[in-house]
Amino acid sequence: MIKITDLEKFYRTEEVETIALNKLTMEVRKGEFVAIMGPSGCGKSTLLNILGMLDDPDAGSYVFNDIEVAHFNERKRADLRKHNIGFVFQSFNLIDELTVFENVELPLIYTGVAAADRVKRVEPVLDKMQIMHRRNHYPQQLSGGQQQRVAIARAVVNNPKLILADEPTGNLDSSNGNDVMELLTDLNEQGTTIIMVTHSEHDARYSHRIIRLLDGHTVMENIMI
Amino acid sequence: MIKNYIKIAFRNLWRHKSFSLINIVGLAIGLTAFVLILMYVNFELSYDNFHTKADQIYRVNTNIISSNDVMKEPVTSAPMGPALKADFPEVVESTRIFGDKVLVKVKDQLFQEYRMIIADPSLFKTFNFPLIKGSATQALKNPFSVVLTETTAKKYFGSADPLGKTLVFDNKYPVTVTGIAKDAPANSQIKFDLIYSVSSLDKEYPGRLSQWGNFGNFTFLLLKKGTNASLLQAQMPAFLKRHISESDRKQGMNYALFIEPLKDTYMDPKSYDGGNMNNIYIFSIIALFILLIAAINFINLTTARATERAKEVGVRKVIGADRNQLIWQFLGESIMICLIAFVFAVLLITLLLPLFNQVAGKEICHTIFNHGYLLILLCISVVIGLSAGVYPALVLSGFKPVVILKGKFSTSVKGAWLRKALVITQFTISIVLIVGTLVVYKQLNFMRSQSLGFNKDQILTINFAGDQAVLKSYQTIKNEIKAVPNVLSITMSAGTPGGGSSNAYSELENRQGTMQPVNINLYDVDYDYIPAYGMKVIAGRTFSSAYGTDSTKAIVVNEAAAKSLGYVSPNDAIGKRFSQWGRDGKIIGVVKNFHYRSLQQNVEPLNMRVNPANAETFSVKIAAKDMPGTIAAIQNKWKILVPQRPFNYDFVDKNFDRQYANEERFGKLFLYFAVLAIFISCLGLLGLASYSTIQRTREIGIRKVLGASVVSIVSMLSKEFLLLVIAASVIAFPLAWWGMHTWLRDFAYRINISWYVFVFAGAISLLIAFTTVCFQSVKAALANPVKSLKSE
Repeated sequence: MIKITDLEKFYRTEEVETIALNKLTMEVRKGEFVAIMGPSGCGKSTLLNILGMLDDPDAGSYVFNDIEVAHFNERKRADLRKHNIGFVFQSFNLIDELTVFENVELPLIYTGVAAADRVKRVEPVLDKMQIMHRRNHYPQQLSGGQQQRVAIARAVVNNPKLILADEPTGNLDSSNGNDVMELLTDLNEQGTTIIMVTHSEHDARYSHRIIRLLDGHTVMENIMI
Repeated sequence: MIKNYIKIAFRNLWRHKSFSLINIVGLAIGLTAFVLILMYVNFELSYDNFHTKADQIYRVNTNIISSNDVMKEPVTSAPMGPALKADFPEVVESTRIFGDKVLVKVKDQLFQEYRMIIADPSLFKTFNFPLIKGSATQALKNPFSVVLTETTAKKYFGSADPLGKTLVFDNKYPVTVTGIAKDAPANSQIKFDLIYSVSSLDKEYPGRLSQWGNFGNFTFLLLKKGTNASLLQAQMPAFLKRHISESDRKQGMNYALFIEPLKDTYMDPKSYDGGNMNNIYIFSIIALFILLIAAINFINLTTARATERAKEVGVRKVIGADRNQLIWQFLGESIMICLIAFVFAVLLITLLLPLFNQVAGKEICHTIFNHGYLLILLCISVVIGLSAGVYPALVLSGFKPVVILKGKFSTSVKGAWLRKALVITQFTISIVLIVGTLVVYKQLNFMRSQSLGFNKDQILTINFAGDQAVLKSYQTIKNEIKAVPNVLSITMSAGTPGGGSSNAYSELENRQGTMQPVNINLYDVDYDYIPAYGMKVIAGRTFSSAYGTDSTKAIVVNEAAAKSLGYVSPNDAIGKRFSQWGRDGKIIGVVKNFHYRSLQQNVEPLNMRVNPANAETFSVKIAAKDMPGTIAAIQNKWKILVPQRPFNYDFVDKNFDRQYANEERFGKLFLYFAVLAIFISCLGLLGLASYSTIQRTREIGIRKVLGASVVSIVSMLSKEFLLLVIAASVIAFPLAWWGMHTWLRDFAYRINISWYVFVFAGAISLLIAFTTVCFQSVKAALANPVKSLKSE
């Protein structure tokens, strides 16, 4: 599903050039659950942003579903993204002015789903995430665990082929964190590919495979059994 | 999708109430000011447009040419109109209009009317002054017929039918009411309460209508459709040559006729009570400026708040929004704010219109639901929403989600520069308006306090409109009124300072010893006039009954007249010859120049002659103590002496000041709009200051922990904004100087713009800006630093 080859990314400030990704090569197959680990500054988040088409690489190739996307412009990337990829963030990133229902509904609006269909699709997802009873609340009125469930609901409502999770349990206590990991595992079992950046060995154990990064390139891969 | 945008926009507005309030209030006030000025400008430009044939109507003007100047006057003599109609087939109608005062007796009640016009029957064909009762073709046909306006008819007869009723004019002429006309609209230059038939004039003053040399009426021509006015104009010299007798021409009277489209006449500076194109430009610019200030607030506050909206932008982009969708979302929000401001503006305008009409001194507009103003306002609101929203929308929608969601986001330096430039623009406009207001008021004050060259205080004028009965017994009346306690002196004249004067074609002996033809302003006075007004005789002597010849063979001129004849010293003018309206004789005295017109005009040549038989007004000088008692006593005497006339009085000083009514209105409007401009600017500053302090909360916390005092933090936070105001002053001062210098050029007697006007304006705006910013910075400086540091 994903094949990146010799991917490079630099960050330039006025005086210093930092290499974030250094000729990185990796592959993720359909239906996999991959965890990416590594110390701060190793390039995990940069990699995730490029995989999510939020950022473009400086060199190298990125093939998504047999399409080379490394040189796509912003609009093409946005189009590909909204139909194929869902995001889950450490800090949830819900829109404060919208209710739970409206937050989850938002991706469907941007993909042009009719209003009646949206209700039909949002409600089962909310039910599955066990936040149906909170549908008319605003994010500030929810606990962290509930907020992350809303975020996951929003990520999956469009039935994406790939979910990118950036430290999804980072702001949660262990019990809520485990709930979130269970949800992701369920999704994976139903066929969604998941790539997750994490610091937690505990969370990483839910995945099939761990890719360890250091200074912008892969240093080790562990296959989980 | 749209529903979602509207929803989020409303929630956003509600969540940030103070921000929304600043924007909405600022925009609502800006829109209000804009529409009020638009109404004013529109009204001023709409004069006489309601006549359906306005495009075919022309006014005949006369240029009276003498050796010293060309006098352009909007008046003609009585025979010209009919002669023009007879001579030129393209002249369909000619309408003569005379203005007059009249004393009207209705049964036993007396009314002094000041707005009577005497007009040809063609008035109703040329102009749109519809009759409610009576026949448009017959009403003004016969002598001693009068058409009343609705209002006048109601005043005289209440609800009774006035048609066919008889009135008595000037206690002498029985006149029949032959029609009732609708009141003339507010934007009509021709204003009247009564319309009297021209044929009456011929009965009252036989021969008056055939005097080619007596310039006392307007002439309007209705031309055939498609007539080339310039071709008609070209035939005017030949027309005059045909009609003016050899004797008139010998008298040296030389003039030319000019026909002017009716629609141009209101803005013509020579028109009495006309408009002023300069003021229209000035107010149009002010309107745009105020709107600009309000729009700037919107841009500044929205971009300053960008950090707060950044997360939303990032999330929406990650979820699948493309940039266009976000741009439309933000544009939609700004349009919505403008639409809310629109609703408030409609309310504000409705509330303020009566006051505005009062300040403007005329009924400019009754309601915004007229003339499509509502639609215009709506369009402007949407346009502002779009244009003020486009920059913030582009900035916000351009945020990169990667940067935002990682929390590394901060507003760009470029945006801050733009905000600074915009704040400078706002304050530049505000300061220019403040300087303008100060200068206008100083000039007004100067004109009011300037010594006029005569004593204007405590002089009562009683107008009797040249009533023959009064003139017959004037000596008795003067003596009786003079006997009233506290009456210091009484004099009578045609012409008082601040009022009108007649203009006489005359010949005066100049320095070369030849008789120089001049147009000179003329006061008909009595022997007491010059001392009563405290005018200063600087050469020769004043009139005296001791000299028998003074009543017919003497004039007193002013300094300006002596100068125009070439005399270096006023003494040189004494004893020189004059010839004027059938009188010949010598100049016996020169008075120091006095301002008999407003200080906008130079003191022009004037002469006085003894001719109480022409007088129209008594001027009574009274003592300062117990003025109401004195006036009441004079009134009692008047009732006995002149029972046929109401006691209508005025004060010379008030009457003189009334000439500045236009300037006063101008000053008031200027003041109001300056206050609005600075208010809206400060609203914006308040918003900016509060966001800037919020952004710097952490910095303030660290500084306080390190030992910074409250004062040092307040000054740190205020400094940046005060610098902007100072920069604005630097830009504003030369602009304001130039603008006001240009404005002052219209005044013959004017102030110099002194440096402290600028210092004062700068200081005021600094003070106001400082107060605004302090509000925020003191709060921030006093806050407990522990809180701000913990939140990071």
